[in-house]
Amino acid sequence: MPRLLIVEDDDRIRLSLKLALEDEGYVVKDVPTAEEGLAEQRTSPADVVLVDLMLPGMDGFDCIRSLRRLGDVPVVVVSARDDTHDVVAALEAGADDYVVKPVAVKELSARLRALRRRASGSGEDAPKVRRFGEIELRPEAGEVLLGDEQVHLTRTEFRLLCELADQSGRVLSRQQLLDRVWGYDVYGDERLVDVHVGRLRRKVERDPANPQHVLTVRGLGYKLAP
Amino acid sequence: MSRVGLRTRVTAVFALGALALSVALAGATYELVRTSLLQERERAAVRAATLDGALVRQGLSGDEPDISLVLRNLEAGDTRRPLVRSNGEWFSRTADAGFTETVGPQMQRLVEAGTPAVQRVRLRDDPVLVVGVPLLDGVSYYEVTSLLELRRTLAVLATVLGLVALATTLAGAAVGSWVSRIVLRPLGDVARAAGAIASGDLSARVARDSDPDLDTLAVAFNAMVDEVSARSEADRRFAADVSHELRSPLQTLSAATSVLDRRRGELDGRTGAAVELIRAEVSRFEHLVTDLLELAKTDRPAERRPTDVVALTRSAAASRGLDPGAVEVSGTTDLVELDPRRFEQLLVNLLDNAAKHGGGAVRVGLDVRPDGLVLEVDDEGPGVPADERELVFDRFARGRAASARGGSEGTGLGLALVAQHVQAHRGTVDIADRPGGGARFRVTLPAPRLAVSA
Repeated sequence: MPRLLIVEDDDRIRLSLKLALEDEGYVVKDVPTAEEGLAEQRTSPADVVLVDLMLPGMDGFDCIRSLRRLGDVPVVVVSARDDTHDVVAALEAGADDYVVKPVAVKELSARLRALRRRASGSGEDAPKVRRFGEIELRPEAGEVLLGDEQVHLTRTEFRLLCELADQSGRVLSRQQLLDRVWGYDVYGDERLVDVHVGRLRRKVERDPANPQHVLTVRGLGYKLAP
Repeated sequence: MSRVGLRTRVTAVFALGALALSVALAGATYELVRTSLLQERERAAVRAATLDGALVRQGLSGDEPDISLVLRNLEAGDTRRPLVRSNGEWFSRTADAGFTETVGPQMQRLVEAGTPAVQRVRLRDDPVLVVGVPLLDGVSYYEVTSLLELRRTLAVLATVLGLVALATTLAGAAVGSWVSRIVLRPLGDVARAAGAIASGDLSARVARDSDPDLDTLAVAFNAMVDEVSARSEADRRFAADVSHELRSPLQTLSAATSVLDRRRGELDGRTGAAVELIRAEVSRFEHLVTDLLELAKTDRPAERRPTDVVALTRSAAASRGLDPGAVEVSGTTDLVELDPRRFEQLLVNLLDNAAKHGGGAVRVGLDVRPDGLVLEVDDEGPGVPADERELVFDRFARGRAASARGGSEGTGLGLALVAQHVQAHRGTVDIADRPGGGARFRVTLPAPRLAVSA
């Protein structure tokens, strides 16, 4: 059974989410502070983590950054804040997805399923090794090389790169990427795509400000160019 | 009603002032010069006539004088026309015969009575000067001088003065325009800053002016903006706090209700019914709070980006179970600069409204052009009475049909949110009768204008 960690300072929210997500089939561990969450993740790592942004002591943004340093466990922000500023900052810190309270358990569960599908790798549809300029994509091994160096991507970034690579130069709209990478079947938040593309560029482009491979097609979306 | 702008008016006043002044000056100058030239000319003519008269008198003093010969011998040339009237008969040089008519009867009487006289008359439209000098008893001498040259000189003078007046008027207009621009420049700055503030940039300020008179305006304006932005910041913080305090307990309610709902089958009928009531109300409360918090963001500008509005419309319509054939797209482009989140929400709210009050949307029309788009949502319901067509966009306004049904569905905020999203795009929304029955909600969103005209 998938293991889930909830980092949330509000006791009632924490307990209600634990009960509801246990119903959805997760083994849930819940903690009220970022510090305890990080300790928990070090000793017995969960498969996916829910993080609130406003936490006593270390805040949610720092918690996400620390979790990223520990590994590439998928992180979903569950926050009462919906300012663009907060959403983008949380995604920049390394969160994979962002939902605003109150979120229906069905919706949250769908988001978690999409993330775990991503986290379990996308090997089934693209076994071949492919090159885009200096970027070498090895879907089977889950590896990306930039020149001779291996690049460490989170699973969401890796999935994003694979989806773009599958199109071999055709444009994918933000909505299509939300659908394929995040599992949104209705209109989702395009900021998710933009921030993740930005993160991807910082890892696979020599000059992220002037990308040569992960290209923006104004008004349409993104494409991967050789 | 269009009114003439301040700058135009200031320019016009300066131009009119310059015109009046220059016309008065030119008129006075012309009159002075004309009078003085005429007097000068008259004096010269009188002197010449007196002299010529003396010569004629000499010529006539002999016996059997030949008046015509005497006149021919005068060295008068073409400018002076000598005439003699002797005992009621005219004598002149052959070429000058026509000039006798310039001497009027009144002048003749005066001169024949022994008084010299000067008169200006017109001869075939040309101005001439007639000088009469009594010579002997019954004989008088007249000399007709053309004033044509003087008239030409005066015409040139009038033209020059007119041009000067015109130039002065134009210079006045230019000065007026320049002065008004200097005076109005801070107003232009203020207008630009106010425009930036209106579109959400609360950091916009007016640059201080080196002129103390104009600086007052900049200082006062900036102080006002500081005050407004401080209040807006306080409001924003309050809204954020309220938002957090409302969303947090709702998250608990929502999650706990889903735990209960999952076990509804294990509950007895009464308890199950109560759980269903709680679930329904929690869900409505969630929507209400989400919509209210969205409405509270009135001051936020639309986050425009190039958006494939056709794809967005199709996916939103599909998410509400609309038949793909019911979406009719026309126009010249798919891409429009708009806030995709707001657009999607306004379309979904219109579809939900049609579902609640109109039996469901039957058509979504979308016409997209580079300068904006028109979105129409049609239903086959009872339509919206003309006197309710503005009211339905008010908060918590619900159609009569909804009230009659008990109105437990919806938050009463859906159309208010539509109006707000439309306003954020500076567009319009209105309701018409659908041909064939039902209501037609029409949203028009113009493409963004880049600059505020100052």
